[in-house]
Amino acid sequence: MSISWDILKSPELEERACRCLIEPGLEVYVLVKKGYRKKYAIFSTRFGSIDSRFQVEGSDQVIDVPDGVAHFLEHKLFEDEQGDVMERFAALGASPNAFTTFTHTTYLFSGTENFPDCLELLLDFVQEPYFTRETVQKEQGIIGQEIRMYQDHPQWRVFFNLLEALYALHPVRKDITGSLESIARITPELLYDCYRTFYHPSNMALFVVGDVDPRQVGEQVAANLARRNYRPLGEIRRFYPEEPPAVNRTRVSQEMVVSQPILHLGFKDAEAAGLTGEELLRRELAMDLLLSIIFAPSEPLYQELYEEGLIDDRFDAGYEAENTYAFTLIGGETRDPELLYQRLMEAIHRQRRRGIPQETFERHRRQHLGEYIRRFNSLEFIANNYLAYRFRGADFFAVPALLKQLKREEVESLLNSQLQEEQHALSLVLPRPG
Amino acid sequence: MLLQQSVTYQLADGMRLVFIPTDKFKTVSLALFLHLELRADLATRAALLSAVLERGSRRYPDSLTLRRELEQLYGAELSTDIHKKGERHLISCTLEMVHSRFVGEGEELFRRGVSILGGIIGDPLLEKGSFREEYVAQEKEHLAQEIKGLINDKAQYALERCLSKMCQGERYGVYKLGRLEDLEQITPASLGQFYRELVPRCPIDLYMVGDLDPEKVLRLVEEELRIQRDGLSASLPPTEVRAEVEKVRYYEESMPVQQSKLVLGYRTGTSFDSEDYYPLLMYNGILGGFPHSKLFVNVREKASLAYYVYSRLERLKGLMVIAAGIEAGEYQKALGIIEKQVEAMARGEISPAEMENTRRSLINALRVQEDSPYPLINAHLEGSIGGRIETVDEMVRAIERVTPEEIARVARKVQLDTVYLLRGEEGGEASA
Repeated sequence: MSISWDILKSPELEERACRCLIEPGLEVYVLVKKGYRKKYAIFSTRFGSIDSRFQVEGSDQVIDVPDGVAHFLEHKLFEDEQGDVMERFAALGASPNAFTTFTHTTYLFSGTENFPDCLELLLDFVQEPYFTRETVQKEQGIIGQEIRMYQDHPQWRVFFNLLEALYALHPVRKDITGSLESIARITPELLYDCYRTFYHPSNMALFVVGDVDPRQVGEQVAANLARRNYRPLGEIRRFYPEEPPAVNRTRVSQEMVVSQPILHLGFKDAEAAGLTGEELLRRELAMDLLLSIIFAPSEPLYQELYEEGLIDDRFDAGYEAENTYAFTLIGGETRDPELLYQRLMEAIHRQRRRGIPQETFERHRRQHLGEYIRRFNSLEFIANNYLAYRFRGADFFAVPALLKQLKREEVESLLNSQLQEEQHALSLVLPRPG
Repeated sequence: MLLQQSVTYQLADGMRLVFIPTDKFKTVSLALFLHLELRADLATRAALLSAVLERGSRRYPDSLTLRRELEQLYGAELSTDIHKKGERHLISCTLEMVHSRFVGEGEELFRRGVSILGGIIGDPLLEKGSFREEYVAQEKEHLAQEIKGLINDKAQYALERCLSKMCQGERYGVYKLGRLEDLEQITPASLGQFYRELVPRCPIDLYMVGDLDPEKVLRLVEEELRIQRDGLSASLPPTEVRAEVEKVRYYEESMPVQQSKLVLGYRTGTSFDSEDYYPLLMYNGILGGFPHSKLFVNVREKASLAYYVYSRLERLKGLMVIAAGIEAGEYQKALGIIEKQVEAMARGEISPAEMENTRRSLINALRVQEDSPYPLINAHLEGSIGGRIETVDEMVRAIERVTPEEIARVARKVQLDTVYLLRGEEGGEASA
């Protein structure tokens, strides 16, 4: 059995990753990190909270699933006929975990010893589903508490309320965990339907980082998959509702037990929906630069707002872009949300009138480049981001080169087309009276 | 391995420099710690001082110039913070920057970084001995909001409430950000005086991690980090570890939230420098440190009562806390299951698998510390505060040697002190 590898180099980072494709279609990446004791591996599927309506090529059945299924399935894979997977990782001295995002589900472990056994266990438990009525019911209690925990979490609430305001139909507006009502409708059969669709190796990828031998990883994965007799899976079609370009609601608020109001100001980027690969990554980098040029602590706006007590040092602005949706989010805690809202909108207008000076642009570009490199200390950061971008069709290693290519004019034109009045919505969490 | 390679220098002015040479990171990481006694009458000033220092130094007198210089250093990250470690209070200033070789720059980049940190701690913006009035006023307002903001994170709030009730008469009961009523009385002049009295005498540790030449590091520190010192560091009182519990105290508070938070505070009677420390570490791991532990298995996996449930050591104070997020109506049931697990530990009901799985997991957690600069620094710092400076290999050997008998002996010393419940009440339903 011979596996052919591509080498992906990042000269800026002095890093290289190897990539291979293993039958029946699993992408495997290995990045060798000399000197690290820890090995970190993630096994991801392109199945996230927004994948609630889908169809597999060759089947005429369109499947609709309740909200929160991807996350529920993530919890349930940790249990199989032999019992709890956690305990077997513990016996190997490794620490397992998993997380679900809007677009994918990731299973992982980190550990310093017994790497081949840990990798085998990761591959095994993710590929061996075991759902019964009883175990599903038990998990409804646990996830019910997880949902309640998030419902008391002001930052989480203000964020999801904003997404509900920005989006009328797109499922990104729904909590990743689903609701108490939606998870009550989940059954073992439903989990198996989702499993058979999304957990086929051709819809998945594996990323290993640490001081390991790529060839051995490749051979081990190939042997593990070979004994499972996978049949080819047709293309998965995902259906998303036609989302109108306009925002759903311009303002939402919720009262909670908090010491002061929290404001999130969002801008829907309807133009970006549909971008993929390098175009999408480029837009993300340009938007991130634009946002830091307007809102970063090194700019007068931030300092004025901070000195007036309208923001604290957790105030932040960021841009999130996937293939089917994209938005900007700005915000934090504030003593006066109405005044802060007004000031932020004014600041955007002011920046438009002034444009972006070259010096400012260069300073922020330099900051972004350094920050990107610094974060490569973290094995988790490397693996998680590499695959997340890969799933959007982009190469995370291309960031330094793209940053260098970006022109001030490009960011300035986004300043004019984005962050428009009619694209915004406001989400507030306000202190409960009394 | 890395801790073994660390080099410690006692500098002439009573400061200590710990340099950890390594080329495995993309960064150079600096961390400076000022050590204070944790005391109610000092805590608020220390917290405010930490915030005011970050506003600027004589060389970079306002945030705008300071933040722009950090951007020129390829987005170096600077922050000051306040920490509670046992009954010690620490003001920290950390600076992480990309190593110059990744951005085609030379050593000058590193010097500029050290100079920023040196200025923040050693040469702050004092005018006639006072801090700048508007900075103090603004940071007082921000700190007040932060103190009040504890309530925003319900799990953290419940934890702090439990510990402050439990340690009412002890220094450990002091909240690390201090108190609102003390904040009002602090003036720019009194804060300046606090700084001038503190810095010459308090123990100061400086850590540097990265691919640097030790001689150059020493020279740079001497040139760029000029702190007015008396020459010797004051000694700080040790943390008091109480073992006795007269009777268990129960507290309850109601709030319109969806999930109730249960926190149990225990006294372990075992300090960090005690020979029982490693058995205690194993004890906590078996009880609630991991997803294979008794609490996770019994409260979450079997009874389906919680999403999160764990036990954690406050090892520098000899305390253990157990926390869980539960349904208000399941309080007695959850409490019962938790207490049963603690009792099982005291009876020595530990399976060989629990022993081995916990041993392996603890060893793994220790070894991965060396793969990130700040956890590495923190491990060394806590070791030196708690009087236990060991290499990772020594710690691993100590964990390998722990026996079930030793754990049973430690288990019998663990006593419940305080039970705190943040009870979710009617009206906590979501209303978006």
